[in-house]
Amino acid sequence: MLAADFEVARREFSVRVDLQVPPGERVALLGRSGAGKTTTVEALAGLLRLTRGEIRLGERQLSSASFPIADLPPGRRGVGLLRQDPGLFPHLTVLQNIGYAPGADPAAARVAGERLGLGALLGARPRGLSGGEAQRVSLARALQTKVDLLCLDEPFNSLDRPLGLELLEVLRRELEDSATSAILVTHQLEEAQAFAQRLAVLHRGEILQVGHPRELVLRPASREVAELVGYRGWLSSGAQTMALHPDRVYPVGAEDGGEISARVLGMVPQGARIELELEAEGRWRGRFRCRSDRSATIGELMWFAAPGAPIFPTAEEPGTALRGG
Amino acid sequence: MAMHGAGVRVSTGAALVGALIVWVALLGPFITLLAHLTPASVVSALSQPGAFQPLLTSVTASLVALAVILLLGTPLAYLMARGRLPFLRIWEAGVILPLLTPPLVIGLLLIFMVGPATPIGAALSHLNLTASDTFFALVVAEIYESVPFYVLGAMAAFATVDPALEQAAALLGDGPWRTWRRVTVPLAAPGLANALAVTWARAMGAFGAVLIIAYHPFGLPMQIWVTLQETGLSSALPYALVLLVVALPLPVAAYIWSAHARRRL
Repeated sequence: MLAADFEVARREFSVRVDLQVPPGERVALLGRSGAGKTTTVEALAGLLRLTRGEIRLGERQLSSASFPIADLPPGRRGVGLLRQDPGLFPHLTVLQNIGYAPGADPAAARVAGERLGLGALLGARPRGLSGGEAQRVSLARALQTKVDLLCLDEPFNSLDRPLGLELLEVLRRELEDSATSAILVTHQLEEAQAFAQRLAVLHRGEILQVGHPRELVLRPASREVAELVGYRGWLSSGAQTMALHPDRVYPVGAEDGGEISARVLGMVPQGARIELELEAEGRWRGRFRCRSDRSATIGELMWFAAPGAPIFPTAEEPGTALRGG
Repeated sequence: MAMHGAGVRVSTGAALVGALIVWVALLGPFITLLAHLTPASVVSALSQPGAFQPLLTSVTASLVALAVILLLGTPLAYLMARGRLPFLRIWEAGVILPLLTPPLVIGLLLIFMVGPATPIGAALSHLNLTASDTFFALVVAEIYESVPFYVLGAMAAFATVDPALEQAAALLGDGPWRTWRRVTVPLAAPGLANALAVTWARAMGAFGAVLIIAYHPFGLPMQIWVTLQETGLSSALPYALVLLVVALPLPVAAYIWSAHARRRL
């Protein structure tokens, strides 16, 4: 069980994390660039010092702000870290790279390499490998290293998407088989959903919400979470903002279960969608880009299906308020 | 276009000729050496009684100097390359200073620092060491003359090792020492070998400081100097050849090996 409750100071803001991960559970840390995701996993891996709090894994204390000299060094924490840069050792062969960890079994390293389709490359040096091959070597190497928690810092983001998702799936199965906990850092919701049982949303160094991926999509706790899980339309009534998800809110006939009626104030076609400026229920105003089979006319009253559209207090600083797209 | 092409060709040709002149000029002394030596003169010089003693002295003193430099200079070079020392510029200045100081001056200053009449000299005498006209003094002089070449070269070699790789090794379970041994040194090895080779050549050829604090025992450079003084140019030349033959193969081998090793990385 990982029990992390800590703070790491950064230039603009501190990253504050309070997260528990039971053995074998896979968690995704979702957030924009600069939200503090990498800082979080680097602190877990022992690459950063804490400014407050502590990190425990099972019975062991890995890091503590009050007694940092006793922090366990990266290699002795039982925490692995797989990054976007595969970090292969250029002077060693692929096989030697895979079996690099002290105590790794060379025979197992060979099997691991072959399982990931690297059989023909085991004697090669990393220099000539493609990005996908290098990342597979890195993945095999991480899996050969016995850890209780594997942190994944957007490891496959530099690869093309199908390959990245395929490797993530390989990784997910391996982790499941070995009942190893994992934390995946990502800014892609689909990736997080495919990989993790639980999702934690990080925004400007704060964990805003933790929960099942579906729960977060249906019931985001705040506007920031809503934005991260794909809500793109914002209708404001002044004090409150209603969030509209382009895949969950769409025009219907009044008799087909329309829940929200809205007057069209403006309309701009955008690709296969249309961006509408709406006034809903006489008080919600804003823009929303939605799927539509038909065009709309200005002044027309449209009905929308909008199951459980979440409503938040309007942000004090309307930095991203009322925008479409 | 044609004029322009011709212009480029002419200037390329001129640059080539210039480069060739510089190359021949640099190689000139070595060509002259070979031209002025006869096999008979080499044999006769080396068959003198005690002729090999200076060679032996030079080789052993340089080996000891090299070991000391390697042992003390390597951690310093690594820490400097990683910026782990406070006031890095001051450390760098300290390393470069012996390089900028004429060796003769280094020798003079060493007399004042470690000579028998100094506190350090007194401390050394408790260890039965004297830093004047001894094998120990020869080693000290060689170290001062050659250590900057190693530290600066090793620093450059360590700087080429990506710290992210050291971090990757640490994350995979290596402690600092194992990381250093398994990742840092192998990756820096080509550069380290070059640095070591240059240092060896400098130590073998050390003369200025040696002349002041270690006139005895004769190493090869002193032997050349003394022979030149006593019997003239032609009898000194064979020793010059011996010095080159002993001092140069290691640097050349290191250069070839490191070029080969770099290609593999």
